[in-house]
Order: sequence, then C-alpha cells, then structure tokens
Amino acid sequence: MEKPIHMEYLLNELANIKVRNERQRRMRLDVPSKELPAVLELLKGRAGFMHLSAISCVDWIDENQFELVYHLWSNQVSTLVSAHTRIERDPGVYLSVYDLYKPAAFWERDIHEMYGVFFEGSPDMEKFILTEWDGPPPMRKEFDSEAWVNDHFDWQNYRPDWLQEIEQEGGGIAILPDEQRFSRKAEE
Amino acid sequence: MKEFPVPVQTAEDPSVKKQSGNIFSNVFDELVRFAQSRSLFMLHYCTGCGAIELPPAMTSRFDMERLGIQPMVTPRQADILLITGYVSVKTLKRVILTYEQMNAPKYVIGICSCTVNGGMYWQSYATAKKLNDYMPVDLYIAGCMPRPEAVISGLRQLMEKIKIGEANSWQDYFKRYDYYLGNQQRLFGETWQTPTDIIGESKHYSLHTPETEGEHTRLLELHQRPLEPLEMRLGLSEKTEDR
Amino acid sequence: MRAENYEPKQHPPSHEYELNFGPNHPGIEGNYALKVKLHGDTVVSARADAGYLHRGFEKLMEQRLWIQNIALVPRICVPDPSPMEVAYSMAVEQLCGLDVPERAQWLRVMQLEMSRITAHLFYFGGHAATTGMYNPMFWGVADRDLVLDLFEELTGGRVYCIYNMPGGVRRDIPEGFLDRLSRLLDYLESRLPEYDNLFFTNHVLINRAKGTGQMSQHQALEWAVTGPNLRATGLQCDVRRDDPYLVYDELEFDIPVEQGGDALARTLVRRSELQQSIRILRQIIQRLPSIKGPIRAPIPNPLAWNVPAGEAYVRLESSKGELGWYVVSNGGQKPYRVHVRGPSSMHAVQVLENLAKGSRLEDVAQIMFSLDACPPEVDR
Repeated sequence: MEKPIHMEYLLNELANIKVRNERQRRMRLDVPSKELPAVLELLKGRAGFMHLSAISCVDWIDENQFELVYHLWSNQVSTLVSAHTRIERDPGVYLSVYDLYKPAAFWERDIHEMYGVFFEGSPDMEKFILTEWDGPPPMRKEFDSEAWVNDHFDWQNYRPDWLQEIEQEGGGIAILPDEQRFSRKAEE
Repeated sequence: MKEFPVPVQTAEDPSVKKQSGNIFSNVFDELVRFAQSRSLFMLHYCTGCGAIELPPAMTSRFDMERLGIQPMVTPRQADILLITGYVSVKTLKRVILTYEQMNAPKYVIGICSCTVNGGMYWQSYATAKKLNDYMPVDLYIAGCMPRPEAVISGLRQLMEKIKIGEANSWQDYFKRYDYYLGNQQRLFGETWQTPTDIIGESKHYSLHTPETEGEHTRLLELHQRPLEPLEMRLGLSEKTEDR
Repeated sequence: MRAENYEPKQHPPSHEYELNFGPNHPGIEGNYALKVKLHGDTVVSARADAGYLHRGFEKLMEQRLWIQNIALVPRICVPDPSPMEVAYSMAVEQLCGLDVPERAQWLRVMQLEMSRITAHLFYFGGHAATTGMYNPMFWGVADRDLVLDLFEELTGGRVYCIYNMPGGVRRDIPEGFLDRLSRLLDYLESRLPEYDNLFFTNHVLINRAKGTGQMSQHQALEWAVTGPNLRATGLQCDVRRDDPYLVYDELEFDIPVEQGGDALARTLVRRSELQQSIRILRQIIQRLPSIKGPIRAPIPNPLAWNVPAGEAYVRLESSKGELGWYVVSNGGQKPYRVHVRGPSSMHAVQVLENLAKGSRLEDVAQIMFSLDACPPEVDR
C-alpha cells in the first residue's frame, strides 16, 4: 500500500529514522532513543496521531537492552505507527511522554513495576498491581517464576488416602500431572 | 450416587460426640443441623473466573434460592464462603481476613480447578496453588469453570454434609491453627498478622488442642504490635481546614 | 477480635474521611478496589487499587507453546472472552503469513458478535443493579444464557469457547445451527421493547444516570477512551470501521452514537449496538451457506512449531473498546513477548478516578458499571 502523501513529506523531515511499511495500515519506525519524544510530538502535531494505543516493553536480555514500543493511531491518515526505540538495560531510565499523551501514565507505571524501567517526568511511579510483591520485577527475563513457585508453594497431594480405595477398584487419576506431556518433570 | 470424601482431614473427634450423650440434646442437635442446612447465606468472594457462572446460578434459570441459599454481602452474617476461582496472593490475604471474620459454623467451598491445584496457572508467581493450605476447605467443585448445575450440585452435597453433621472442617482451623498459620507465614512473611485472636476463640469454642499453638503462633506474639487505631483523618489539605 | 479493637477512639471532628471501596463489595465489578476520600457523601478524590486478579498472563505465555496459549488467552477478560482468542490467533497468523479461509473469517465474526451480545446483556444487568433495579439483571442474565447455549452447541464451552486456533476455527457449525440462531435473534429483538419499558425509559434510570459520570469528547480523547464509552460522547469511532479486520468491510452496520457522555448515554449506545449486532448476525446467516471451503488453513505440527521471528500488533473492537495485542516472536517455539492492551486499563483506572471525583458515593458504583470496567483486563 502506498503511504499517504503527507506522511511521506513528514517522514522525509526526520533523519536517523528507519521506516518500514509492513502491511496495510501498519508502519514501523525505528527511532534513536534521544529523538523519540520529538518524533512523537511531530507525529501528533502534524499527522493527527492523537491516540496512544499502548506502550509495550520487550526485554532483549542477550543484547542487554529494553525495547520500548509506542503504538499510535491516527484517524486522519488511518495508520498505526509503532515507534520502536531501544534503551540500555542498566540503569533502565527513560523519559516520560506524559506531557504529550495522558494515557502514558498508566503504561509507564505498568512497565516500571513489571520491568523496573524508570520514567523521568511521569506523574506516578508508585506500585499499582504488585503492591504486595517484594521480589524482583517479574517480567524481566532473568526472573524464573517456576523456581519461585517451587520455593513458595507445595503441590497438591495427588495420592491421598481416600483415593487408594478408588484406585484399587480401577479408578483414580488416569495420568498424574507429573507424568503428563508438558509437565515440569517431563521437560527436565 | 457414590459419596467421595473430600481431601481434607475433617479431624472427626469422637470425644465431642460422647459429651452430648443426652438423647434430647441429640434430637435438638439434629434439628439445628437440619435448620442450618436449609438456610444458608453465601458470601461469594469474586476471586476469579468462576464468578461469571454465579449470576446464572443465582437468577431465574438455575435459581439457587429454591435450595434456601441466598447471597449475603457481609462476612459476619454469612455461612458459606464461596471462593470462585484462582486466588492471587494479594487476594488471599483478604480471603483469610474475611474467613476469620465469619462466625462459626462456617463452610468454605472452592470452585474451579485453580483452587484445587493451581489449575492452568500452576507456573504463575502471583496465584496461590492450593486453598486448603491456608484454610480448611469443605468441598471442592472442579472444572474450568464449573457449570451452574455443578455449582448447585456441590452446594447440595454440602447441605447433606451439614445435615448429617460431617461438615466440621471449620473446627480444624482452630484445632490446627499453627499449621495453617505456618503456611500463611511462608507466603506472606513472618510479620503476617490478622486482627482476629484465633487462639482465644479456640478456647471459647473449647477446640483448643496442643496443635493450636506452636512455633508459628509464637512468631505471631514476637511480631505482635498493638493494632494502630484507624486514623480517619487522612491527608487533609490546607484548603479544607480553612473552610 | 482483640480487646483493643473494641475501644472506640475519639476522632477529631471532621467530615473528611477515607473509605475502602472493595475488593469484596457488591458495588464493585469483579475483584477491584477504590480508595475513596469523602467529604460528607461527596467524593473528594478516588484512587484505584488493582492487582487482585493478577495472574501474570504475559509471563505465563512466554513459558508455553504457541498452541497451548490458545487455552490461556480467553481468561484475560471473563465477561467477553471471545475477542481475546480471535486477536491472539490473528497475531500468530500475521507472524506466520497464514491466510485464513473466508469461511473461517465469517465464523469468527459470528462468534465475535454473539460474544458482544452476551457482554452487553450482562452489562445492562450490572448497570440496572447499581441503580437499584434488580429485574433487568434477572432478565439480562437469563437472555444471555440463551446465547451461551448456542455457544455450547457450537464450541462445547459455555463461556470460554476456545473456538479459534491460528489458521482458522476448530469446527464447522452443526446442522440447523443457523435456524436456531435466527430464532434466537428474533426472540432477542422482540424482547427489546420490553427492556425499553422496564429499563431504558425507566424514570429511575433516567433520573439517576443522566448527568452522572459525565465526560466531554475532549476528555475522552485525551484519556484514550475507546469503544462505546467514546461513542457515548458523540464521536463515530469504531475499529471495525476505521481499521477493518476479518470481513467487517463486507458487512453493513451503523455505528450508533449518543451525545450526553454520561452514564445514560453509555447505556443507550450499548442498547443500539445490540441491535446492530443482531443486524450483523442476520447478514451472516444469509451469507454463510453460500461461502464454501475449508474452515482452517493447514498449520505445521503445533507441538514443534517455530513461528518466524517478527512482531504483530492486532487491534480489535471488543465490547469494551479497542483491544490491542502486541506479539513478538524470536523464531522460537514459545512467544518471546506478549502484551495485551485491555480496553479497560484506560477507563477503569484514570477515567474512573477522574469521573468519581465530585460525584456522590452512591453513584461511584454506577459510574464503574456504566463504564463497563473489566478488572481482569487491567490486572492481566
């Protein structure tokens, strides 16, 4: 699909940005982290990208980077732009876009508690979902939730006394959870 | 229909039955149990997915009220605590507080597979895996999620159990409080406190056993701090004070 | 109770106090809490407290195979689960470059619209109950059950259908299904005037809902409100029309709008949407028999399926607003990252906090239900 004409003009003004038109009404921009707020401001002001659909964070642990993806929709040009930028995993600090988009407050707060990325200038970085969680940010790739579960919980007893009578009559659990195909024991 | 016992030790104590050897009191007990089983108020804590099948079960199509079971909004007046689905750790604290507020006799029903063994969230860091570690459960209704018919059939089994006097697992919480508190402390940390004095209540119900107190309840006393009175004036801004 | 709890404490005279609203409260939708600061009966400020339904879906999905996740995804939004599985399947199809057969697309639209009807009927009941009318709740839940019966016939599941998989749908419609669906639609349409009499033109509703929780179009756009809540402020904006997916561009339907932006307008928009869903389903009943072909594109062995590296962002119009799914694959057997934009994560947090401010305490529940907030979407 051809790009709408004024989008083309707009994108020509921006240096250092890779543009990919992946499929209909979808566009991917790769932006250096320093320029992203300026790009968003330009998109909002000149092409009507008023709607911030979401901000996603991807943890690329092998490259020691976080990728932040800003999904913007414009009714004016009927295109969803995904602006990608990468920041260093350590210390994991970035600028808030709250002054441009109000909904960013929710997504930045969410990313902060799930990944530990701090957004400077965001109105509220308090914990929201994980208020009673004192472990590491759980969505980071190095956090092993299965090990945490094994540390903190016991598994249900699948061979209780009352089941033995039923088992002698030929009933009972057909395949125990540990013996099932994708169980934690089978994968070891 | 074959009655399967539930995987909870109800700790049937023969000494309790012997005490009430009087035939009149036996008849009276039976009458009370019959009355109890026919008028149950249910507090459904909406912990997860299973809550979506309760409105059909309660309203005109499946109509739970014909069994004498009605929803109740406060824990202090409820008989049944219905845990509808997976219990996240944050919710579990509230569930325990709610359970301890309820007056005995009280019954707990775990709906959905997630309350039995974690269900499809067995890998999740956020949900508790089996409910009967933290409070005694009378009955589990498995399914993801159980249909309204299954919920009603489970409630009828509970009514039968109450009628014959077998639904006594609430006594287990007083008798083995140390065990349940230990599991709660393992998950919430050593400083975990509830406002209810379970040990005192266990003496009141004459259900105090050697297992009621132990190393975990000692920890409770160690970390016990006087409950701070609820501060009702929170963050008054200067403007409102001027007014 | 310990003795010290019984001792009443003398508080300084004050009209301003804090109240915990939820998580276990009949006026709260699901397992969610609001901390409300009150002056008399008027809300001075409100603060949302979520996380009671948090399961760590996004983490769980990274640990499971692509095909296993199909069973997991409908659980994200309990009252309206079908859009979740469709969105996830569409995202995987975009990553793999799979072409979905036309018949499967029509069946998906049918499922989505039936799901929208169930969600809206449930919504009417919830909103009615918060205004003190319990009859519409009984009606709505009972009528919703009739749609669930058809879901059960089609998919085997009442609420969680798990009908989709990447590449298409799991099975074709059973014999005579379209006739039964058609009869159900006739029945629902004949019920609408009765609902009007009972609920939508009821003075109790109009007096309580008019002007309650009002937001302007400007505010709604600023807070990224989508779906029926945005259309209640007078803006014709619908993902099905603006960014069409599946076969929505072949279907005829209107996008109803209301001007008020208050609780009443939000309910009336959904009432008109119910009619539009019935209209869409009638078109599907007409067209579906003439569309032949397979219902599923062939996919590789799902137990050893390496989805090509890439990313996809899928937008869908669920009954609550714009649903977004961002799926990243690094070429492995499991997703590398899944991010769900639940529509409620906007209107159940920021918008609810702002609209509750200045309203009366008894209206807070109504505002929450009229926004159709779905806490599991916020918590994930």
